Amino acid sequence: MNQSLNRRRLLATAALGGLVGATGLGSLAPEAAFAAEAVTVEPGAPDPNFAEGRISKVSGNMLLVTGSDTVLHSIRITNGTSIWKLHPTTFDQVAVGDGLYARGVRLPDGTLAADSVWVNIVNLHAHIASVGRNMLHLDHKGQRIVAHVVPGRSAAVYNGTPAVSDMSLLRVGRHVQVLGAWHPDTNEISIATVYAAA
Amino acid sequence: MIEVLAALQPLVLGAVLIWSARVKLFSRRAAAAANRSALVRLLGQDRALPAYRVLGGVELTLGALLLAPPALRLEAIAATGLAVGFLAYLTYARRVAPTSSCGCLSAQPIPVSGRSLARAGLLVAAGVLAGLAAGGWWTALAARPLAGAAVLLAELALVVALSPELDAAWLLPLRRLRAWLTRPLRGGSGVPLLAAVQQIQLSDAYRRVAPLLRSDVREHWDDGDGRFVGHAAHYQGRPVTAVFAVPLADPEPDAVRVAVVDDATGETLLSLAGTPRPAGPRLTVVPA
Amino acid sequence: MAAVTGEMSWFCCGSAWGPCGTTGGGACGTCKSGNYQHAWPNASDACWSITRPDTCGMSLSRRTCGFRHYTTNLCSGLRVGTTIADCGPQTDLWCGERSCCGSACGTNRIIDLTPAAYSAIASLSTGLRPVSVDIV
Repeated sequence: MNQSLNRRRLLATAALGGLVGATGLGSLAPEAAFAAEAVTVEPGAPDPNFAEGRISKVSGNMLLVTGSDTVLHSIRITNGTSIWKLHPTTFDQVAVGDGLYARGVRLPDGTLAADSVWVNIVNLHAHIASVGRNMLHLDHKGQRIVAHVVPGRSAAVYNGTPAVSDMSLLRVGRHVQVLGAWHPDTNEISIATVYAAA
Repeated sequence: MIEVLAALQPLVLGAVLIWSARVKLFSRRAAAAANRSALVRLLGQDRALPAYRVLGGVELTLGALLLAPPALRLEAIAATGLAVGFLAYLTYARRVAPTSSCGCLSAQPIPVSGRSLARAGLLVAAGVLAGLAAGGWWTALAARPLAGAAVLLAELALVVALSPELDAAWLLPLRRLRAWLTRPLRGGSGVPLLAAVQQIQLSDAYRRVAPLLRSDVREHWDDGDGRFVGHAAHYQGRPVTAVFAVPLADPEPDAVRVAVVDDATGETLLSLAGTPRPAGPRLTVVPA
Repeated sequence: MAAVTGEMSWFCCGSAWGPCGTTGGGACGTCKSGNYQHAWPNASDACWSITRPDTCGMSLSRRTCGFRHYTTNLCSGLRVGTTIADCGPQTDLWCGERSCCGSACGTNRIIDLTPAAYSAIASLSTGLRPVSVDIV
């Protein structure tokens, strides 16, 4: 805990500009920065540095994932891996049965060293069929999806304006894009962000 | 009573078929409706719209014949056949192309649901009943106007209740009214993390370091008046953390600052802060 | 075609888990979430009649299944090449919507990428980004 606090204090101090003991200063010309990463996968082809599927086993810092096309993936979680499950979270929140998308670097042994893992993330385009206490009933391609508002987590973006926690402007019958976390093996999700047109 | 019910069925069937034909023949969105329907899967992309239009023509013709005298048993048989065809098609659509649209009574994208199937079943039953009628609907209605009107209203209400296409006219307003009265989504407060992330992404500081970022948001915390958001990144060939500082009280993107900190040594390798200027956003590299 | 600026989102297709499980291979029948592919609003007459970008004042060129587009995230400059595998997004439902990064903005939804392609140039949790789309 202290280590984590110290680290955060260090990072916060650095971000606010009160720097101690810094020795280097690199230039960051836009052209140099924008050329930093080149994607080399052929258009239309599968990306070896990407994986998707359901988690079948969690072992140490490894996730064994069965792809939807039945291919198995071993995914390594490192200190630098970001884990999203409704919000940025930690490895201990990941469970067997969760679905995921992962991006990272494929190692020579076939393992994917993950930079980012998005657990149970879904991006739905749907209509609001009805609303209940802290929930939306969505019509999504003929399926009824129950989308739960999670106080303190869920956000709404109305026509591109800054995100707010207030969901009360959502209207029955309107079209929405909902980014959320699926509850495995159910028709329910928790809402991360609702995008609503004006 | 059963005679009245049977005699009125051509009126119900005719009204539903003409309403359905109206969408297929005269709606500006008919092409979209056809292309969203399972006809694309059944007949192919090129034949979906012509088939949709032809079906509309058949519905209009049969609907007009059902409404106009004389009342012929053949019309009832044809209507039953058409309704059985609808039922078979909708069953096929639900099984083979569940995300396709019904294309039935509206050009709106409405997937085939249990209600659509029940409505087709109701039309089949109406067709069978119509075949049992001894006279025209106008005769039955003239003989027993009150009972006839009640039957008609009840049956049309059932058709409306079984038509998801018509929900926007009655069900959704009712649900909106309930939501307006009960305010089930009230109570959201506070600044969501996304607001800080949006502010960061609007900043030029973010655009400058974005290509270095390797991960999504890895950690975030509030401290004093600021919210801090960290990403894993690579800079000068080493793993680093890019940490953004967002003042909670200042929504301007120019208020966002970022530092790139070496994960191994804790050294600050780079620090950028936006400086608000009327001439446009500029970035200052703060000596570390 | 000059580069078109607008908004991108992501969608799942092919074999998938969760609510994505029913989506299938898209309008072209080849779409997979793990491939570098995208949906385009003018992939055919039928597609155009559904997405109707013209109602938002956009005239996107007709490009059919397999056509290559190159999408640049205006927030980061990262770019990915993808082929058309589906019809979408439904531009007309979001006319006038705008996303920005700094002074770089995109208005109207013009492209949906698969999760593999989207995550190569942006985080999936963003859901929406300003982009420019080009053919070279």
